[in-house]
Amino acid sequence: MRQGKLSSSLRNGCVVLLLSVSSMVSAYELPADPLNSVMWENMAKRFFPGEIVIDQRVIVRAPHDAEDQMQVPITVDATQLENVVEIVALADLNPIPHILTLHPVRAQPFVGFRVKLEQSTPIRVGVRTSDGVWHVNGVNVGAAGGGCTAPALAHGNNDWYKTLGQTRAITRRESLDLARLSLRMRHPMDTGLAAGIPVFYMSKVEVKSADGIALANLELFEPISENPTLTIKPLVSDGITELLVYARDTEGNEFEFPLVVPATVDN
Amino acid sequence: MALSKKSAQAVNTYNRRQVLGLLAGGVACACCGAVHANKLAYDLAATEIASGTWAVHGRTEYFTLENGGNIVNIAFIEVPDGVVVIDTGPSRRYGEALLALIEKTIPGKPVLRVYNTHHHPDHFLGNQVFENSVIAAPQKVIDNIIAEGDGFTDNMYRLVGDWMRGTRTTAPGTALEAEFEEIGGRRFSLYYLSGHTSADLVIRDDETGVVFSGDLAFFNRAPTTPHADIGVWQESLTTIASLDKELILPGHGLHDKAGDSLLQTGDYLDWLRQAMTDAASRGLTMNEAMSLPIPPRFKSLDVVETEYQRSVVHLYLAFEDELMPLIEMK
Repeated sequence: MRQGKLSSSLRNGCVVLLLSVSSMVSAYELPADPLNSVMWENMAKRFFPGEIVIDQRVIVRAPHDAEDQMQVPITVDATQLENVVEIVALADLNPIPHILTLHPVRAQPFVGFRVKLEQSTPIRVGVRTSDGVWHVNGVNVGAAGGGCTAPALAHGNNDWYKTLGQTRAITRRESLDLARLSLRMRHPMDTGLAAGIPVFYMSKVEVKSADGIALANLELFEPISENPTLTIKPLVSDGITELLVYARDTEGNEFEFPLVVPATVDN
Repeated sequence: MALSKKSAQAVNTYNRRQVLGLLAGGVACACCGAVHANKLAYDLAATEIASGTWAVHGRTEYFTLENGGNIVNIAFIEVPDGVVVIDTGPSRRYGEALLALIEKTIPGKPVLRVYNTHHHPDHFLGNQVFENSVIAAPQKVIDNIIAEGDGFTDNMYRLVGDWMRGTRTTAPGTALEAEFEEIGGRRFSLYYLSGHTSADLVIRDDETGVVFSGDLAFFNRAPTTPHADIGVWQESLTTIASLDKELILPGHGLHDKAGDSLLQTGDYLDWLRQAMTDAASRGLTMNEAMSLPIPPRFKSLDVVETEYQRSVVHLYLAFEDELMPLIEMK
């Protein structure tokens, strides 16, 4: 009897504990998904822990229909929000949904990139502000099948590795204290989902000032298109005239190069 | 009594069927262009654009579930001993409708030659209703159809749906290489150009002077660029402009006597090249390039917004590769 009582009160305790945990988890109500995705709850739990608001100030630009599902262009502009800490871009229905994360340490909350899509999917972006709130918005993009599971074009060429990391870039000063950096780095960005080709992708791109102040940190993931083409807008006040870019892939290959920010504004 | 009861029943059944038929017809009508209308039928019409030369004008739209891919100009020509056909449309169903239209317009004459101007799906996916050996194209067009045809066909099923039922990629049975050929008592000059794709065939009927430009010319409909090389395309437009001719039938848009389709296509391509150059040299993202303003003179081109956005995807990478300087690694 005693034992039974104990275990039952333990059970009650557990119930109470469980209740409090679950009430912690659901402290924030999940807003309805404007994109009507079956993956919304899952995506929100996995990538946007905490309070979520649907926010039209997060502008996600993407074509309505993917003309080339290996290179679907996306531009995220959250410059209407202040104190942005982190931007997370997802493709709900990709086998690997996480596209990239940007920490715009000293940069505008803005990023351009291209993505491989496996099928029609919401492109969803969460922007976390310093108060911990996730501002989420997105668009649906139509696509034919097979973007993530097709081999990179580089594999049609036997010596693709010779140009690995080769980089093209344009740096402009858009205003006195704002630069625009567009770069393309040669990399197959293998997802690991194409038969016989292991995962291999550029996983990190960091932009610093010449004296080492972090401006923007990017984490890239498998869905980023072959030869990643990225556009970011670092803040270049305090007389920054040179940027340093450091990039690394999943095999530990490192790439490092300086970029001059022109002194004159060109817009 | 029993008999009359039975016939009454039969009458009732008949009526119900009639009513159902009417209803079905009414439903199809009510949501005009209903995606899942009971019977998909291309409503093809032939316009005689020159003596014995008929154009089947497609709509100046993009592929939709509603138009079934009927967005392309097809032509057929009565020659002394038969019929010559230029391109075959987007699907097997279109090919069948085209054959019926030819038979109605020129009864009893055999199709002696079918040309495929290039390998885009709206121009050759009606091939399978014609005898394979009469279908002809330059070898490079045939190679392109073999290489990319199945991909196109799959995508067409996605874009226009059930209109495509039964459509299979069918490559031409005859490779062209001569400068001209006599078909059924009529001479056709053949020009092996490129630029819209890697192989574009232009055909001139030497009797009527009608030039069938394929998609090297568009008229009042924005050009498409999935396989375009703008510089080469411009050279091809110059070549077509220099031909002795009475009339041009562009791949899309109305037939054109004065050569305005060539000028308009060239003007649009020039602007496209300039816009891509400016955008890529400023480091704009593709999405930013897509929202650049379209000049007023092109605003009246059908589907120009859609086609411009598609063109950015087709062309931008090459412009970036050309305009973004290579960086030296540390």
